[in-house]
Amino acid sequence: MMNTYIKVGIAIAIALSFGSQVMAAEGGNPKKGKHLYKKECKACHSANSEGQELTPMTKTMSQWDRFFTRDMHKAKPAVFEALSEKDLKDIQQFLYDHAADSDQPATCG
Amino acid sequence: MRTLISILVANALFMSGASLAADTDAQKIADLKQQLASITDDLDDLNSRVDKTERHTALDRVAITGDFRTKAHSLHYQNVTWNPAMNVNFSDFGAKAMSGVFGDPNSATSPLGQMMMANPDLASAFQSGMLQGVMPMLLGQKTQQDIDNDIFYTTRLRLNIDAKVWDNVSFAGRLTMFKSWGDSAGVKVFDSWNSFTMDGTSSGSTSGDELKVERAYFNWKDINGSGTYLSIGRRPSTYGPPNHYRENELRGGTPSGHLVNFNFDGLTLGYDLSDITGIEGQTVRFCYGQGFESQYGNGELFGDIITKDTHLGGFNIDVINDGNHFLQFTLFGAKDVNDGFTGTMAFPTQLAGIFAPTMYQDMQKFDNFNFVTRVQPSGVIGDLYLGGLGYAYETDDDMKMFASLGWTRAEPNGNAGLFGGMLSDAIFEAELNSTGTEIIMVPKETVDSDTKDGYGIYVGMQIPAPYGKFGLEYNYGSKYWSPFTQAQDDPIGSKLATRGHVAEAYYIFDINPKMFIKLAGLYYDYEYTGSGSPVGAPMKVDDVIAGNAFSMLPVVDTAYDVNASLTINF
Repeated sequence: MMNTYIKVGIAIAIALSFGSQVMAAEGGNPKKGKHLYKKECKACHSANSEGQELTPMTKTMSQWDRFFTRDMHKAKPAVFEALSEKDLKDIQQFLYDHAADSDQPATCG
Repeated sequence: MRTLISILVANALFMSGASLAADTDAQKIADLKQQLASITDDLDDLNSRVDKTERHTALDRVAITGDFRTKAHSLHYQNVTWNPAMNVNFSDFGAKAMSGVFGDPNSATSPLGQMMMANPDLASAFQSGMLQGVMPMLLGQKTQQDIDNDIFYTTRLRLNIDAKVWDNVSFAGRLTMFKSWGDSAGVKVFDSWNSFTMDGTSSGSTSGDELKVERAYFNWKDINGSGTYLSIGRRPSTYGPPNHYRENELRGGTPSGHLVNFNFDGLTLGYDLSDITGIEGQTVRFCYGQGFESQYGNGELFGDIITKDTHLGGFNIDVINDGNHFLQFTLFGAKDVNDGFTGTMAFPTQLAGIFAPTMYQDMQKFDNFNFVTRVQPSGVIGDLYLGGLGYAYETDDDMKMFASLGWTRAEPNGNAGLFGGMLSDAIFEAELNSTGTEIIMVPKETVDSDTKDGYGIYVGMQIPAPYGKFGLEYNYGSKYWSPFTQAQDDPIGSKLATRGHVAEAYYIFDINPKMFIKLAGLYYDYEYTGSGSPVGAPMKVDDVIAGNAFSMLPVVDTAYDVNASLTINF
């Protein structure tokens, strides 16, 4: 009986670990994402512009993932609808790679 | 939150109750009440747990991340030659000997008589008039060997500390442990500049299982809205571009890694020009640092300090840094460079045999003991200037190419210590020791004090490959190439400081975004001696092997390093 529990536990742990990997942005092109982010997002998300100022550092990696999988730009869904799946993936990858808890260039500015 | 859920559940109860048959209502309500009680209980539990998290988040001002690397090297050195000698002014020696400064040459007990007995070959050469002017005096028998260190493991742990101090002020630090397996002594036998444990290299040279502070600095950005920033502390001066490609990391430091990979303390005053020029990532920085403190901690109160503080200053400009193009210009100088740093080393018995015969006698009684000693420089040997221009291009498809050109200029001042002056060898003169009982050799001046320019080139590429990346790199350093890259953790020696050729190929397997395996091979072909050291004249390695040139420390001809590492970032 105990063995069954352990097996089930391990299966769940493995499933969860795969799940968490799937959650992480993967496969997007961060460089293309950077261009797209500047073109598509900065218009509304710069200082003193319509939307709140937004940088990759505004959210954590998992928060960006949640934003792209669940929120889908609820405030203005049309923004996301106008972009192709590939473009969104690229933007997500760029924001994920440079999120608040990501590896940041270790320079003094 | 709890109130909201209660209202929703109550509402649901009311709505559902109206549509259900009367005889099941009581039962359903009872069930729902039970569920509500259970949800409320869960919410209470969750609330108490969230309270703890909130409190923890509010109070936890420091974020700790890090990386952990285990590496296995197979190191192979060919034609490791040791042929020690020193340049002695024999004319001066002859004049002093003839005038009786060293005592009666015919007396076995006089300092001169003792020296003649200890060195019969030298005595006969001197008496037959073969030694005139400045000539090398051999200090030992030439030895030559190949060395194979088939397996050498290291572990490196780096903990990054980040804290947001204020809206425009942050603190960053990095604590590093870097050790070879089975050794926590932290001090190595001094057989090359690379084995010297000191401030500038403590993070890149195996230095035991202690955590060392590699970086600790604050960043004060946009001071008074001016776009200026100030950063003071132990600098992010290691693993700068384009070194980060082979490290499989983002840019790891501010200055060009081709010129500087060395821990140092100082400050940076910078300005982000991109808002003015419209060129992304354009930043100009003035850097200042102190590489050596000559007085405090060096017996200052005895009043015999002869070294000076070493001050560094210069400019580092990111001309463009937009994610595809990176162009960096660096120019800085080090004023009053000394012939070493304060550090610790295990004194090699071989050098005691040459320079400290009385001590050597005792050391032979403990042949597996080394004495660990703190050393400090013996004098100021000149100024050094370094300049570089580096360009890296990254395509949108993650193909990377880079080229870096470095220049170093040494301006010796003619002073010399035991291992020479700045890129020049010392001329020794014979003197009596303070008790008048022994002749000792004292470094008096350098062979020349000409300005010496060196250059280095560093090119490479990294292309996406199945499961990861494949990279090729090549660098070359000229005879007088003297960058500050000694903290680079290549065990054979900083490859970028090499006076000669180095080729490297590597394959990085990205296991997941936080883990990778790297397989690499490096081949070193040294042309000149003393790579990584601004002290002593570089000699052609082929001449040392042939016995026509000399070196106080062992000289490596060619070497290769095959290694595999596993790195995890957390």
